[in-house]
Amino acid sequence: MIRIKHFFQQSWLLIVASFAFGLLIAVANARWSDEIEWNKTEKLNRLSSALLPEARLELYAEVEIELDKGKKRKVKLREAVSRIGDRLGWTFEAAGSGFQDKIELVIALDKDLKTIVGYKVLSCNETPGFGDQIKDKYLREQFKDAPIGKFKPVKRGEADPEKTDSEIVTITGATVSSEAVVKIFNVYVEKVKGKIEELVQKKKGQISDDKEG
Amino acid sequence: MTKKGETKVALYKETLLAGLWRENPVFRLLLGMCPTLAVTAAVKPAFTMGCCVIFVLICSNIVVSLMRNFLKPHLRILMFTLTIATFVTIADLYLKAFVPDMSETLGPYVPLIIVNCIIICRAEACASKNGLAVSIIDAVGMGIGFTLTLCLLAGVRELLATGAVCEIAILPLLKEDGWFVPWAAMSMPVGAFITLGLMLGLVNLISRSRS
Amino acid sequence: MDMVTALVLAFISVVLINNLVFTKFLGICPYLGVSGRIDMAFGMGMAVTFVVTLSGTMTYMIDNWILKELGLEVTRYVCFILVIAGAVQLVEMYLRKFFPLLYDSFGIFLPLITTNCAILGLCLFINLWDIDRLLEAVVLSFGAGIGFTMAICIMAGIRENLKLADVPECLKGAPITLITAGLLTLAFMGFAGMIR
Repeated sequence: MIRIKHFFQQSWLLIVASFAFGLLIAVANARWSDEIEWNKTEKLNRLSSALLPEARLELYAEVEIELDKGKKRKVKLREAVSRIGDRLGWTFEAAGSGFQDKIELVIALDKDLKTIVGYKVLSCNETPGFGDQIKDKYLREQFKDAPIGKFKPVKRGEADPEKTDSEIVTITGATVSSEAVVKIFNVYVEKVKGKIEELVQKKKGQISDDKEG
Repeated sequence: MTKKGETKVALYKETLLAGLWRENPVFRLLLGMCPTLAVTAAVKPAFTMGCCVIFVLICSNIVVSLMRNFLKPHLRILMFTLTIATFVTIADLYLKAFVPDMSETLGPYVPLIIVNCIIICRAEACASKNGLAVSIIDAVGMGIGFTLTLCLLAGVRELLATGAVCEIAILPLLKEDGWFVPWAAMSMPVGAFITLGLMLGLVNLISRSRS
Repeated sequence: MDMVTALVLAFISVVLINNLVFTKFLGICPYLGVSGRIDMAFGMGMAVTFVVTLSGTMTYMIDNWILKELGLEVTRYVCFILVIAGAVQLVEMYLRKFFPLLYDSFGIFLPLITTNCAILGLCLFINLWDIDRLLEAVVLSFGAGIGFTMAICIMAGIRENLKLADVPECLKGAPITLITAGLLTLAFMGFAGMIR
């Protein structure tokens, strides 16, 4: 009994303070959690709508992709719909390691899953002036309308960057960063396309089941 | 004003100015180096970090000063740490909610304010021994000193790295018919270390020539 | 075999490529303060490695198995710093009881480590990098400690030689150390992009 009393005597301030601080944090969190959630999706939406303008993004499904080295990653698949409800395309986030740190991209696929609409950089920590150029038009335009499939990075002079094909000309002075972007495409795009086709089939099957039943 | 009032005002003024030059946390006390190097790549993140530190300093100094008579000696550091961690969490939530792009740029360096030596040192050295008014003024002085230092360092680095400060172009870039070729190294860790080292040397030179 | 390669690569990446001191600016205060002599530097480095491995593992477990399950992620920072402070206390008590000689050689470094940005910084980075395996978190924490030890020993070696050099008066002490650190960072940048 005396020991417990002694314990309380020594640490009553700690216990009271812990409660007070916990309350403070809980109040702050409750008041601001909506804004925080909104901010998280706002950047994604802004970049996605730059790729597919006049589209409204709706979360279609959350799929699990298996990356190389056995790592699994959950990918949020978003469907871009027009104002009248037609499907305009698909967007999702992809990430991979670049020269300095992680590179995060938003990739958009066209509605028939035949070509790539393009990509935008969500976040990257690459060398400013060099690896940073993956944000610029030179690399991004090469992916526009490119066929979905495996991409191959090639050096300047070996291929024409204006041609829309599976050969991507890397940025001079930013080879590693460019190859990282190509690798992200190679790892994610075909697998995501497979998952989308699966899910669309399932939904079609469900709808026809509903129609019959 | 009475003599006691006069000495009090003098004490307040002295405490306020100490944080700005004589006991400048970065240049003199060599505290809080980690955020100084990490966030000073541009002026906006540096200023945001400075404001966060001012907020946490003031709040934690107030709470510690109010608590100072009830603190048990061996739980002291734990209480300080708990207080600081709470206010840093609140500051981080605020940034995430209202200034999300700065929150992303600053990244994990906002929670690292918890282990920023400046705040614990001020709580230990000043707030736990003095009344409310002195603690607040000390916090304000130190905080403003820290913010000004960060902004100065960030200004130099951003100017040399991009030729612009806060997106206001100052030096004409070479690719826009100017003469200035940006020093990309300044926005990388190399530039941070070297700039801070040279600035510290400059401060030493100035204070040596004064005394 | 795949997992072992992944772990070895993770270890190398955090020691050489993403070295905590040179690329993430963590642990600068002790780095400047304690790198005067190689034996002190090595002692500090070992103490940091000890504590950071323990804290990294414990914070990873608490974050993934308790905080995320209960949705209490907002209390993450408070929990982390309390765990770190507790871990440092534990290590101190354990060493004092069972390895008194080792405890004496660490001296005052152990209590100082609680405010070392490197420990909290590493716990936050493990959280940021979405590490999903406990073993990877352990390897990364250990690697971070080894990286810090390596950085501080290199700096101590250079500083011991700098004492004989002709450094200008105003640059003696912290300024020249920072400039040297900058040049070391430049050297370590050569490792960037080694692991794809």
